[in-house]
Amino acid sequence: MKTDTAGITRCDHRCSLRIETACDFVSVRTATLKVREWLAGKGMAEAELGAWELALVEGANNAVKYAPPDARQFPVIIEVSCGGSDVEVQITDHTAGFDWPAEIKTPVDEAESGRGLFLMQSLTDSVFYLRHPGRNVLVMRRARLSTMSAVLPDISQLQSRLAESEASLTDMTAELASSYESLVAVFRYSAELGTQTDVKDFSHRLLRDLVQIAEADSAVLRLLSSDGKKLETLLVLPENTPLPAVVLAGQVTSVEINAARNRQDIWFDSREPLAKDDPLRAVMPVGNGICHPFQVVDQPVGTVALGRLAADRPFTAAQVNLLHTFIDFLAIQIVNARLLDERTAAHVTSRELQIAADIQRSLLPGKIPACPPFALACACQNALQVGGDFYDLIPAGGDAALLVIADVMGKGVPAALFAAVLRSTIRSMPQLFSRPGELLAAANRTLFPDLSRVDMFITTQVVYLNGRQKEMISATAGHCPLLVWTPGEAGASPCREGGFPLGIESEVVYPQTVVSLPPGALAMMYTDGLSETRNVAGEMLGEQKLRALLAQAGAQTGDVGVAKQFMLQQISHHAGPAALTDDQTLILIRHIQ
Amino acid sequence: MIIKCQDPDVCVVTGLVELAAANATQVRDEIRAALPPACTRLDLDFSTVTFVDSIGLGALIALHKTLRSRLGTLRLLQPAPDVRQVLEMTRLHHLLELIP
Repeated sequence: MKTDTAGITRCDHRCSLRIETACDFVSVRTATLKVREWLAGKGMAEAELGAWELALVEGANNAVKYAPPDARQFPVIIEVSCGGSDVEVQITDHTAGFDWPAEIKTPVDEAESGRGLFLMQSLTDSVFYLRHPGRNVLVMRRARLSTMSAVLPDISQLQSRLAESEASLTDMTAELASSYESLVAVFRYSAELGTQTDVKDFSHRLLRDLVQIAEADSAVLRLLSSDGKKLETLLVLPENTPLPAVVLAGQVTSVEINAARNRQDIWFDSREPLAKDDPLRAVMPVGNGICHPFQVVDQPVGTVALGRLAADRPFTAAQVNLLHTFIDFLAIQIVNARLLDERTAAHVTSRELQIAADIQRSLLPGKIPACPPFALACACQNALQVGGDFYDLIPAGGDAALLVIADVMGKGVPAALFAAVLRSTIRSMPQLFSRPGELLAAANRTLFPDLSRVDMFITTQVVYLNGRQKEMISATAGHCPLLVWTPGEAGASPCREGGFPLGIESEVVYPQTVVSLPPGALAMMYTDGLSETRNVAGEMLGEQKLRALLAQAGAQTGDVGVAKQFMLQQISHHAGPAALTDDQTLILIRHIQ
Repeated sequence: MIIKCQDPDVCVVTGLVELAAANATQVRDEIRAALPPACTRLDLDFSTVTFVDSIGLGALIALHKTLRSRLGTLRLLQPAPDVRQVLEMTRLHHLLELIP
């Protein structure tokens, strides 16, 4: 770059002019006349000069008219960029700024103000008003008319124009190359959207491309943590610059936090530098930059900051647009990756539940053992998630059987595995079947180390049913009481004796009870899913009601299968449309008359 | 700028070069102050005016309202093509009398 006159510079490619002028009407008018003269020197037609002069005056007047008193110390900056095919003017003001209206109409005839925006819009091809904290930039563009209508210049003017045209061509070529590069990158990223891509790798490539195409020197990409409290550093360019996470509610002054909170781009430069304690200074200590927060479907995702070492070369509107476009791609890819992770996790959970359900199913006995004069019926209904309920009916020889019902704390694969271990443990001790109390104590001793290591426990109840002796011996480890109904009674009675659930203490003595089950009597072993069945109003069935239902079932039918159906129907009737929240398991024992 | 009121009901303003932000308010106020009470026609010689901006247009409308309140007329004499174009663009040629 070289200097022509004070305040006027000519770039190597596109011709440009920069004027800083005092914030008053007389000074800005003088400046606009300088611009007009400069544009005339570029061979611009008279009609265009008039249009640009008026558009410039309107823009610059607004910069003066609306500047608050304390901002009048700052200059109004007019930058003109003149290419072969168009002219762009930027006016930087220090007003509070305003939102450029979506539609500008001519004011009513007798209004004394309000024609400035209309004139700017009418005299140019496009107008943008970019708002930033402390300053705003009005950008006006207009295509150049054919210069054939202009007065024919002399040879030296022609040579000068030829040189400018060459510079413009070079400039356009560079612009085209940059656009081509951007487009190639955009197409490449489009192709990757929706595919399974490593987010960090994708972000790294995208950020590198962005830095190169937008002619930046550094970049920082941060993502909002899953708890929404921090901006965590994902990438820093140049690499190897350590940058700790920033806490959103912290005391540090950070443009990244401000941008994320306000969901607005924040610019910084030598006039409005980063705060001394801003962590971003570690990467962008000098120059200028922009911090852009990004979100998807209104959900904040993170921030990206781009920095440039040269303080006098802010990012252009095109480069900022490029930043927005690239980061839109990144946001979509990040959200896609998160959705994919959630889907994978859901799939793993569903598979785990399937395994648990398979294990649980495999534990259930294939057939009901015969032990006359007792008849058995059982049911196990699983809630949506696999629970830890299971029951077992083990033939014990000579019209005898061991009935086991258990509820392992927790759900899923761990509960199903412990149920399987309990089943094997009990089945491995047939010598203790007729002494259920000792059987539970031995099972507790075996399982205690494993259960206590993972802070789990199992409630269980075992009943030794001896057909020949017409006797029933029960022992309970923290489980629901055995309910027994004998004909003539209004309700079933609970048999509450028992000890701790398995896995609580290493040595436990479990009392065993010989339960009388006279002919016609009906007994029930069950899990708490039955008594805790809730209806839609949240009311629990309760043990009292269960005891009454069992008496009703016993009185209504002598068939144990029909009694089971009755119990299940009544429980289902209580639940109504409410979903099953826990497994429901029951074993009915009937002394056939 | 020269303001001449040879006739009690006609005033003529000459010597204007620009009517823009830097001078529009002053021009408006000086003309208003110089208008005799009986003046019902104000002629602004616009043949010498090379530039008018939106604040200048605001001053013209203010003067137009002043004259209309006296049942009078504001006329712009011989505006240059560039200036006429701005007046037409903003539709003020319907409101103000352009001669010719």
